[in-house]
Amino acid sequence: MSTHPLTMSASKTDDQSAFFWRKLHSLSGIVPVGVFLAEHFWSNSYVLVSPEKYDAVGQELQTLPFRPIIEAAGIWLPILFHAGYGFYIWGKGKSNAFAYPWMHNWMYTLQRWSGLIAFLFIGWHVYTARFLTGGRSNFVTVHDDLSNNLYAAFYLVGVLAASFHLGNGIWNFLCKWGLAATTRAQRAAAYLGAAVAVSFTLAGILIVYSARYNFHPFARYIQQ
Amino acid sequence: MREPKIIVVGGGLAGLMAVIRAAEAGVPVDLFSIVPVKRSHSVCAQGGINAAKNLKGEGDSTDRHFDDTVYGGDFLANQGPVKRMCEAAPGIIDMLDRMGVMFNRTAEGLLDFRRFGGTLFHRTAFAGATTGQQMLYALDEQVRRFESERKVKKYEGWTFLSAVLDDHRVCRGICAMDLKTMEVRTFPADAAIFCTGGIGAVFGRSTNSVVCTGSAQSALFQQGANYANAEFIQVHPTAIPGEDKCRLMSESARGEGGRVWVPRKPGDKRPAKQIPEAERFYFLEEWYPKYGNLVPRDIATRAIHKVVYTQKMGLEGAPAVYLDVSHIPRETLDRKLEGILEIYEKFLGVDPREHPMRVFPAMHYTMGGLWIDNTNQATNVSGIYAAGECEYQYHGANRLGANSLVSCIYGGMVAAPAAIRYAGGLDKGCESVPTIVYENERRRQEQINDTMLHAEGTENPVTIWKEMGDWMTEHVTVVRNNPDLERTDAKLQELADRFKKINLSDRTSWANQTLSFCRELQNMLVLARCITRGALARNESRGAHYKPDFPDRNDAEWLKTTRAHYDCGTIKFTYEPVDTSTIPPRARRYDAKA
Amino acid sequence: MDTAAPGGGNSGRKVVVRVKRRPDTREEPRWEEFALDWRPHMNIIICLRDIAERPVTRDGHATTPVSYEASCLEEVCGACAMLINGVSRQACSTLVDSLEQPIRIEPLTKFPVVRDLVVDRSIMFENLKRMKCWVPLDGTYDLGPGPRISPEVQEKYYPLARCITCGNCLEVCPQVNENSDFVGAAILSQVRLFNAHPTGAMHMKERLAAVMGPGGVADCANAQNCVEVCPKQIPLTESIAEVNRQAIREAVFGWLLG
Ligand SMILES: Cc1cc2nc3c(=O)[nH]c(=O)nc-3n(C[C@H](O)[C@H](O)[C@H](O)COP(=O)(O)OP(=O)(O)OC[C@H]3O[C@@H](n4cnc5c(N)ncnc54)[C@H](O)[C@@H]3O)c2cc1C
Ligand code: SF4
Ligand code: FES
Repeated sequence: MSTHPLTMSASKTDDQSAFFWRKLHSLSGIVPVGVFLAEHFWSNSYVLVSPEKYDAVGQELQTLPFRPIIEAAGIWLPILFHAGYGFYIWGKGKSNAFAYPWMHNWMYTLQRWSGLIAFLFIGWHVYTARFLTGGRSNFVTVHDDLSNNLYAAFYLVGVLAASFHLGNGIWNFLCKWGLAATTRAQRAAAYLGAAVAVSFTLAGILIVYSARYNFHPFARYIQQ
Repeated sequence: MREPKIIVVGGGLAGLMAVIRAAEAGVPVDLFSIVPVKRSHSVCAQGGINAAKNLKGEGDSTDRHFDDTVYGGDFLANQGPVKRMCEAAPGIIDMLDRMGVMFNRTAEGLLDFRRFGGTLFHRTAFAGATTGQQMLYALDEQVRRFESERKVKKYEGWTFLSAVLDDHRVCRGICAMDLKTMEVRTFPADAAIFCTGGIGAVFGRSTNSVVCTGSAQSALFQQGANYANAEFIQVHPTAIPGEDKCRLMSESARGEGGRVWVPRKPGDKRPAKQIPEAERFYFLEEWYPKYGNLVPRDIATRAIHKVVYTQKMGLEGAPAVYLDVSHIPRETLDRKLEGILEIYEKFLGVDPREHPMRVFPAMHYTMGGLWIDNTNQATNVSGIYAAGECEYQYHGANRLGANSLVSCIYGGMVAAPAAIRYAGGLDKGCESVPTIVYENERRRQEQINDTMLHAEGTENPVTIWKEMGDWMTEHVTVVRNNPDLERTDAKLQELADRFKKINLSDRTSWANQTLSFCRELQNMLVLARCITRGALARNESRGAHYKPDFPDRNDAEWLKTTRAHYDCGTIKFTYEPVDTSTIPPRARRYDAKA
Repeated sequence: MDTAAPGGGNSGRKVVVRVKRRPDTREEPRWEEFALDWRPHMNIIICLRDIAERPVTRDGHATTPVSYEASCLEEVCGACAMLINGVSRQACSTLVDSLEQPIRIEPLTKFPVVRDLVVDRSIMFENLKRMKCWVPLDGTYDLGPGPRISPEVQEKYYPLARCITCGNCLEVCPQVNENSDFVGAAILSQVRLFNAHPTGAMHMKERLAAVMGPGGVADCANAQNCVEVCPKQIPLTESIAEVNRQAIREAVFGWLLG
């Protein structure tokens, strides 16, 4: 008769590994991936001061001791895990935002697509900014890249996707770790997430704009 | 000693309690129910459950509870069992409390109690306005625990068809049908406990769930079990009339201060809110100053009938009166009555916190049911026990609100140990019964299915059912006249004849609901006659049974239990004395000041 | 009057209903359309009953009555959940006048269909068993009153106890589907309820162990559709977050402190 999977899942051993991985996945999006994203936006925002400052900060970061290890453990592996497990989770869900178009349901769907876009963008970004430049990315190369309209557009899409994914991810994290348990706390968490998403988006747009148009609003900081 | 084998049919409060008691005793139980037990009709019980815990300093006692119950039932209930039930009630509440029923609480964290009809005490424990649901779930959870320990096996989605009786008319198991595969199968057992609930569907539209057909009781009746006090049918005074069902507006609405009224001027067209106090006729409060809106149900129902039909004061001429809670603070209503007010709002789109509700009486409960003895919940057929609404024992001629839930639990508590004792005492258990006994019963039932499936008539079963319901509601509920009862009986025979010419619009053999409905309908028609004939015979007025031609209670002739026997298609009645050993019968009056 | 007599006195107005039929599990579903007489306060169950009384499609073909589940007709038994105009809800409390026509009626999609609108939701009961959703009781004999509970606590948890196991919350959950064994919001909310009860809490560890297992609380991905459809307005997302909190605490501290 029926081979519907829902009829078969009742008796299970208490294997808790999925719980561990899911919670780790949620956490990894905040720490370290989210933190890295914040750091990355921060160091890039030096472009708003001046190209020289931007290059100096870049230089600073590239000369961190144990850099490859720090990068691998703190950035690349977590991102790969977060993305990989994220795709696995995506595969287990079935979006129904058109049938039930409530806000959080749209967020659920957008979280998946924004994750995919952000991941593709990061891959491309690393490829162009790291490998094509042989690790010597600086203001000039970035400026050249962003002068290309397609490049700039893709940057904006990537920034938007990453910002949304992080903001919504913060809300998700607070709920899923039970830190925002009441409806009121969850609403506050949603505002926090939204604030993060909007701030990151604005900052990102500003950085892209700055690098493309040689616009350095904080240049006067240096003259003082 | 061999291990007894027990079957429980019905997973409402009574059935689940019986299962728990059997499982606790270490006896394996098979539990049968049409619906998943968590969806049983008991979920509908709203108002609460009675127990004289006396937590309000009113001097309540189990004796007072006992007296109220017997008096409320117009002395037709056997006093021994009622007394034991009332004494067990406080312990039952404690047990439910320990099971996690979310009863409402006082500031001190104790159980809160409200007032209900037919008593002057705060005696009704309640969980919001969904007490039955909360209780059923608590029992369901305990049964689930036993199920996970493999002490209980559930057959949900099975309908009981008949008992398997051996040559000595002793019950040796049951015959049931899987409502999905339509497979008919027999299940051997040493004893079977029936907890199959109410019979609302016999009256078409009632406050009951649609699964309350009384089909199982009727099937047993036709196999030789006696059916007692069938004529005592409770009509609840306040229900929301509806085409599919009359949704109950619980007595708790009045327990929390709700008032029943009509405009003093018949046909007054003004919206209720614009009618000043002085122009409102609070007829229950005027006629029954002591109990007011909380007179017992039969009294309130007849009062509403009188106001509507005799005094022609129904709302805008229609059969309806106001049940008004709009003067009670919103916050209190939401805390104590949310569940039921929500029903009104959902189904009629009007907020009862603002506007008085329009209500009218509707068939609600059967006091009558399978005859059982006074100590063991045993029917007259060896091996068959009954508990809950499907038996007749605890409510006499009229049930007091919030007493049914107690009687269900108590009945289940008594039935299971009694059945186990009986089964343990058998010389030979069901395993020694020749398989041919089971085979024959199965074949007989399959034969009935085949006949129905292949009937080439013209009658639609749904139409027959509706006609039966309309007749029963019109003539065999609030007011009964012998000529009408005669006509109804003739009508029921006509319907039974027409039933022979049915045509099933569904002849498939997979999840065929039409077939199972037809089987129920056939049984309902028998039960309907049992009720009608019982009412016809009883020439007096007592509790819910009211005949204007015989307006008084007649203890000399009729202080008797009606016992119906089924014999090859005819229904015969015998009468037996009522146990009145403790409280001598006295006149039942709620209008007096005393 | 509050109700019109069935069949009689109709205004000529029609209700057009399309039902997704499936005679059994082997056959493919098909749609049938019916035109019924409109009456005031009509709900979906009344429509299905009308069809049962006269099982003839709109274009005059004789058919079988529609199989469906319903019992209480007052939204407290949970039996009658189905998709009505694409939304998962209880048929008995869905009024025809609140719907766009033609009204589309389909069985729930997250549970195996038995026939027509009847689906098998036994998995929910099985999961209640798996999550040990009960208060452990020594016995039903008289052991005196239960634990004292403050009115505040009662008022907080009583709403959770009103879950009617209808399955609407599972039906709309994107995480509940044939690729996953997520138990769904209803069950997690029950876990919270029993963890909150003073005696129920004595089984908290076992319940949390189950909840941290396959199909447990971690499978919730926060789409929060469940609260939108729950007919009993149960604060399901609070329940899930609370169970998450308990599970995390158990995972972190249980591991650190034993
Ligand atoms: C709207 C409403 C409100 C009420 N409120 C209150 C109240 O506040 N207080 C109070 O004390 N009482 C109240 N009552 C009365 C009370 O709810 C019922 O009398 C009581 O719940 C009956 O319980 P039960 O266990 O006997 O049967 P039910 O709960 O009706 O269970 C019957 C069981 O038998 C099964 N069954 C039936 N037929 C078959 C068959 N042929 N084969 C297999 N299984 C079968 C069903 O599936 C079900 O599991 C109310 C009743 C109604 C209608
Ligand atoms: S939580 Fe709500 S939607 Fe889910 S099963 Fe319970 S009552 Fe239905
Ligand atoms: S029939 Fe019980 S919820 Fe609809």
